[in-house]
Amino acid sequence: MKRSQHLVGVVLVAAGLIGVTSLFGNDYYLRIVFMMCVYYLCAAGMNVLVGYAGQKSLGQAGLFAAGAYAVALLTTRTEMNPWLALLLAAAISGVCGVLIALPSLRVKGPYLAMVTLAFGIVVEKLVGEWTEVFGGAQGIYGIKALTWNDQPLTTEQWVWLAIIFCAVTHLLLRNLLQGRFGRALQSLQADEIASSSVGVRVYRAKVIAFVIAAVTCGIAGALVAQQNQYINSDFITFHLSIFVLLLVLFGGAGSQYGPLVGTVVLTVIDAALSRWPSAQHFLYGFLLLFALYVMPGGVTGLLSKWFRRSADEPETSNASAAPTRIGPEGQGGELLVVKGVTKNFGGVKPAQDVSFRLQRGHIHALIGPNGAGKSTMINMLTGLIDPTEGSIQFLGQEVSGRPVHSICCMGMGRTFQNLRLFADLSVLDNVMLGRHSRMTNGFIASLLALPGARKQEAATRARALQLLDLVGLLHLAHHPAGSLPYGLQRRVELARALATEPQLLLLDEPAAGLNPQETAELGQLLLRIGKCGVSILMVEHHMDLVMSISHHVIVLDYGIKIAEGKPAEVQANPRVVEAYLGVDEPEEEAYAAAA
Amino acid sequence: MTEALLQAILSGLAVGGAYALVALGFSITFTTTKTLNFSHGEFVSAGAFIGMSALFLVLGLPVTSTTFGQALPGSGAQLLALAAALGIMGLLGWLLYAIGVRPFAGRPGMAWVMSTLGFGVILQSIGLAIWGPKPVVVPGPLGDAVIRVLGVGVRPQELLTLGVAVVIMIGFDFVMNKTMVGKAMRAVAANGNVASLMGINTNAVMIGAFVISSALAGLSGFLLAPIAQASLFMGLTVGLKGFSGAMIGGLSNPRGCVIGGFVLGVLESLVNLWQAQWREVAVFALVILVLAFRPTGLFGKKLVEKV
Repeated sequence: MKRSQHLVGVVLVAAGLIGVTSLFGNDYYLRIVFMMCVYYLCAAGMNVLVGYAGQKSLGQAGLFAAGAYAVALLTTRTEMNPWLALLLAAAISGVCGVLIALPSLRVKGPYLAMVTLAFGIVVEKLVGEWTEVFGGAQGIYGIKALTWNDQPLTTEQWVWLAIIFCAVTHLLLRNLLQGRFGRALQSLQADEIASSSVGVRVYRAKVIAFVIAAVTCGIAGALVAQQNQYINSDFITFHLSIFVLLLVLFGGAGSQYGPLVGTVVLTVIDAALSRWPSAQHFLYGFLLLFALYVMPGGVTGLLSKWFRRSADEPETSNASAAPTRIGPEGQGGELLVVKGVTKNFGGVKPAQDVSFRLQRGHIHALIGPNGAGKSTMINMLTGLIDPTEGSIQFLGQEVSGRPVHSICCMGMGRTFQNLRLFADLSVLDNVMLGRHSRMTNGFIASLLALPGARKQEAATRARALQLLDLVGLLHLAHHPAGSLPYGLQRRVELARALATEPQLLLLDEPAAGLNPQETAELGQLLLRIGKCGVSILMVEHHMDLVMSISHHVIVLDYGIKIAEGKPAEVQANPRVVEAYLGVDEPEEEAYAAAA
Repeated sequence: MTEALLQAILSGLAVGGAYALVALGFSITFTTTKTLNFSHGEFVSAGAFIGMSALFLVLGLPVTSTTFGQALPGSGAQLLALAAALGIMGLLGWLLYAIGVRPFAGRPGMAWVMSTLGFGVILQSIGLAIWGPKPVVVPGPLGDAVIRVLGVGVRPQELLTLGVAVVIMIGFDFVMNKTMVGKAMRAVAANGNVASLMGINTNAVMIGAFVISSALAGLSGFLLAPIAQASLFMGLTVGLKGFSGAMIGGLSNPRGCVIGGFVLGVLESLVNLWQAQWREVAVFALVILVLAFRPTGLFGKKLVEKV
């Protein structure tokens, strides 16, 4: 759907809702609609965190409390304007979001879920027990409601305001999630290492997701406090955290309308069962336990399975006939200098005082028997592992110690030995992610969908299609990357690495698992890529491939460089032959006999 | 002053013993199945309430009653209640594994977080429907007469909790390190696929892990009930602190988890002397601090992801 159509649609729906609610005239129903809007705000932000970034948070009640109590304290202790207080409350919950995002820099998965759960409980205890400030179960009275023309809002106006908030939140988050940021978040959910290797700043993206969830939840809390003009510790329970999470999971995490569906259905059920709290809780438990088993994609996932559209029309080639230029022009000059690099993993030494130089415009090969330390070398070059000693200089700048994403931005792209594609994303999205670090539209520009951001998005898409054409996968652009056969997945990964606009491309066994025909095709492709201005360093076991296309070969054995030079020279080198085939040493037989 | 301090440390150790049991439960399931029971806290409450119901039944009171009145269960009744708590909790652990963990374990997305959480919510809502939200005073097996140790008054239940916890830890350590069953469990923890190739029934080991872990949670609840009153809400904080203890000590190291549990109990008790409302905050701050410097805990092994 086009952006403008969608905008009109949302405005119409919101206006329709406002019209319908003005006919209600029944406070009970108005209240249900208001709570629906409040929960939608929580769920919409939570969807960014859970559905896109894949971080489970079980402490949203704490953020809800941050917003609610911020507004309560600001308007009761000071003479602050309620609107300003609402704004400040959003900011304060954002800060709390950063606070619970901090542990995510260090821990993952279940640990993080438990930390967020702990945050929620701590806040619950704090507002319950620190009565001097938060009033405990007594609560805080006299919170100033939002005003319009110096009059406090009526219940109807509250509902209208909440509907407007929801519509705006939906539009802004849609802008954000359909472009650069949404892709980055989805990539880090799939594979953080691959994500950082294409230039995504993983931690920053996570913090942003946490803050978005925190701000929407804080606004929701503040709205509730201001509408009731009262807040106490009974609002802040672990069940609220679970409910918010359930809204997203039940509706469909990671889908655009999932939170909406989840909110509408569950709020209605919640209201219907409100007289029997234990039945309510039983239902939530039941849904948590079985919903994901029966419908992993939530309600919207289930629906979209039934109403699956026919596959998108394949992209047609619109690339220009001229060969794609990826790296800078010109040949010669040193691209990468490795000096005296050593790495110890305890007793294992995959690199001992290794030095070599890579020339611009050449195809280099790094070979050696299994366990020679080839992959470790690639991982050190790209910053996934820090060398114990030695220096790695890329384009005259030291690489070791830099974060992975910044090395990618310097112009080093890579593929992985055991494919690390974002399997659930489409082939096109995978390649577009490669260009993440080359896009310059910031958070605000993406959020508001400024023209600059849209232009960048279009340029990236065009570029990605061009690269897919180069590797011959244009017709598969809209298929999920994980559904492709192995050989084609390797090519997708190659295109993704090329999309980072590397000057040096590191390939970790690009021909592994390919048949002879495919290997030969790969050789041709690598030569073509070399002509596009990209220098290549590949780790490879297929000697035919290595000998036929590389200009320069480096041989490692047990972490020691034993030879380097032109392919023919290396092939004739007795030490290389020894490393690969062993030698018939008379002493060895003597040893065996003696033993 | 020193007396108050000593008192705090002693009761901290007792509660810490309960935390250590919970922490150990987390560690057992995490190392063998790479999953955690997010409703471990509810299991602690469940243990307390199952023990309590067994006592009611032995005394001839209806299960749904919420007070013992003047009735005092004898030691035979207490032992029976303990057996019931451990047995039923073990069964619940098996049920949880079968319907909440096994369908999701090893798959991406951590759906088991939600399913185990849901299991706990169901348990709690059943409990609420039967007993309501009010806490119940449960008599301890050794009576309530305060014993004086080093001039400090200690309740016998606290000493019992500490003693039982220590005995369980030592026993567990022995089993894990010295017996074939322990070796099988460690093998499954190290690499389940290889372990099954060696003829170890990994499924049975994983079920066993959940059964033991849940029984430990039940035991911890059973021991805590006379100290802190049995409440359906007691579990959440106990479970959370048990997990915090496990994180501080290192989830992958059972001994570390136990130490973490005790440390946490004492810390909490000391903070309590000073300002009760900062108790949870102090615990949380310690966890964050430890995670910031040693993400795998003080005694945990460093995890290396193969690229």
